[in-house]
Amino acid sequence: MLKLIRLEWKKNNIMKYMWKALAMVIILLLLLLTIAGELEAAETRFDYGNSMLKSGVELFTNMSFIILTCVMLASFIVGTYKNKTINLMFSYPINRKKIVLSQMLSVWIFNFIALTLSKVLIYCVLVAVKKYTFISAEGIRLGDSMFYVEVLVDSAVMISISFTALMVGLMMKSSKATIIAGMIIVCLTQGNIGVYTLAGNIPFYITLLMLSAVSVFLSLYKLETRDVL
Amino acid sequence: MSYILQTSHMTKTIDGKDLVKDVNIHLRKGEIYGFLGPNGAGKTTVMKMITNLWKPTEGMIELFGERLMPASYEVLKRMGSIIEFPTFYEHLNGKDNLLLHCEYMGYYHPKSVETALEMLELSEAADKPVKKYSLGMKQRLGIARVIMCKPELLVLDEPTNGLDPVGMKKLRDLFKMLCTEYGISIMISSHILSEVESIADTIGIIDHGNMIKEISMKEITEMNTAYIELNVPDTKRAAYVLADKLNLENFKITDMYHIRIYDGRITANDISKALTENGVEIGGIGKKAESLEDYFLKITRMEG
Repeated sequence: MLKLIRLEWKKNNIMKYMWKALAMVIILLLLLLTIAGELEAAETRFDYGNSMLKSGVELFTNMSFIILTCVMLASFIVGTYKNKTINLMFSYPINRKKIVLSQMLSVWIFNFIALTLSKVLIYCVLVAVKKYTFISAEGIRLGDSMFYVEVLVDSAVMISISFTALMVGLMMKSSKATIIAGMIIVCLTQGNIGVYTLAGNIPFYITLLMLSAVSVFLSLYKLETRDVL
Repeated sequence: MSYILQTSHMTKTIDGKDLVKDVNIHLRKGEIYGFLGPNGAGKTTVMKMITNLWKPTEGMIELFGERLMPASYEVLKRMGSIIEFPTFYEHLNGKDNLLLHCEYMGYYHPKSVETALEMLELSEAADKPVKKYSLGMKQRLGIARVIMCKPELLVLDEPTNGLDPVGMKKLRDLFKMLCTEYGISIMISSHILSEVESIADTIGIIDHGNMIKEISMKEITEMNTAYIELNVPDTKRAAYVLADKLNLENFKITDMYHIRIYDGRITANDISKALTENGVEIGGIGKKAESLEDYFLKITRMEG
């Protein structure tokens, strides 16, 4: 399986996505440094009870990586059905389920690692620059191991939720539909209408995770007996 | 007789419509099988089922003596295929595409990539991204990819599409060489009959999803070694003379002025003499051989 994942990365030019992710992190960092003061001021003014700076980091990184995951799903999986390279893949002496699973895992692993590292990097930079700026960065507890567990779980959940878009993309056989579905997921999981938001709503996240699981299951279901159209 | 590929009553039905029905194919080891049929006859459907991309609704496929099942992955190691058109990772260069193929096939042989590229005259373009290849180059790269891992069976769907006549000739020679020197069995579909005629050992003809005929080229040659073509202004009268005076049965009026006589026992001189004696004017008479194209047209018309 590891070999198949490595080959997926190789043929889909993973370096391209690495640079994209890095550029995205730099832009997010600059954006967050610009608005960090504002976020902390709002936290004091409205007494939200949680770190607005931390929420800002979570919001922007999650948003960006949900979209990147969907772009990669569109390219790594949905695109192969469109450009017929899946026919080539299914002509190899390899279990079809393993092939499709390796495609999914290659996207999941890359984005999970990239999102986790991005968050940690941004938090580290924000803490490092706090003495030179007006940022207090109170909610960012880099010395607490639970903080990292939280980051890991949150990253895993966000990337897994993005796989709901795969079902839409495969059903409509469209890369664009996959990315649009990703945007809808971003709106639902990260957006708000006035004070109402689904961000952090555990039952809603569980529902989306279940939908992702269904999406993965349907992608693999009867793969051997299905005609490759 | 053992076959490397055999299908029995292979049928594919989609949405209640039979795309192919009761197709029986028999391909012996080391043979080239020409699979002929007009556009939309069902050639690609058959090839998709043989390569396990599509599953037959009824019937069975036997590859290398074993029944092809949905999870038959090991047989795919022993075969190479191009269905419809070869697909590549366009941003990668030709060489990387081939190396990737070797990795997936689990085939590690030094120089195999270079040798395949050389055989298909693509060495110079090896480092160019595939998206910059012409249609013909992509087709040749596709062939290089399927022959690289030394398969025992090649299933090629119109592999000469996009090639110029010189390229086609080179490919024909390559197929012949692979067949005679390496013992590779090849199933090749083409709409260019003359092309298949020059390399195939056996011909399968499919039309409207039905297998009309499966016949060896040797049999075709024997059956239709030659015929006498008669050019006469009055075919009815000439036909009467042939049937009544010369007792011939194996002849056919092809159009208003031509008759073909397939009976090998009679000579052009005898026919000419009989017609003249019976007052039938002769525009011309000569011995001709029937091409595969003639045979193909004849039997597809008969079925139609």
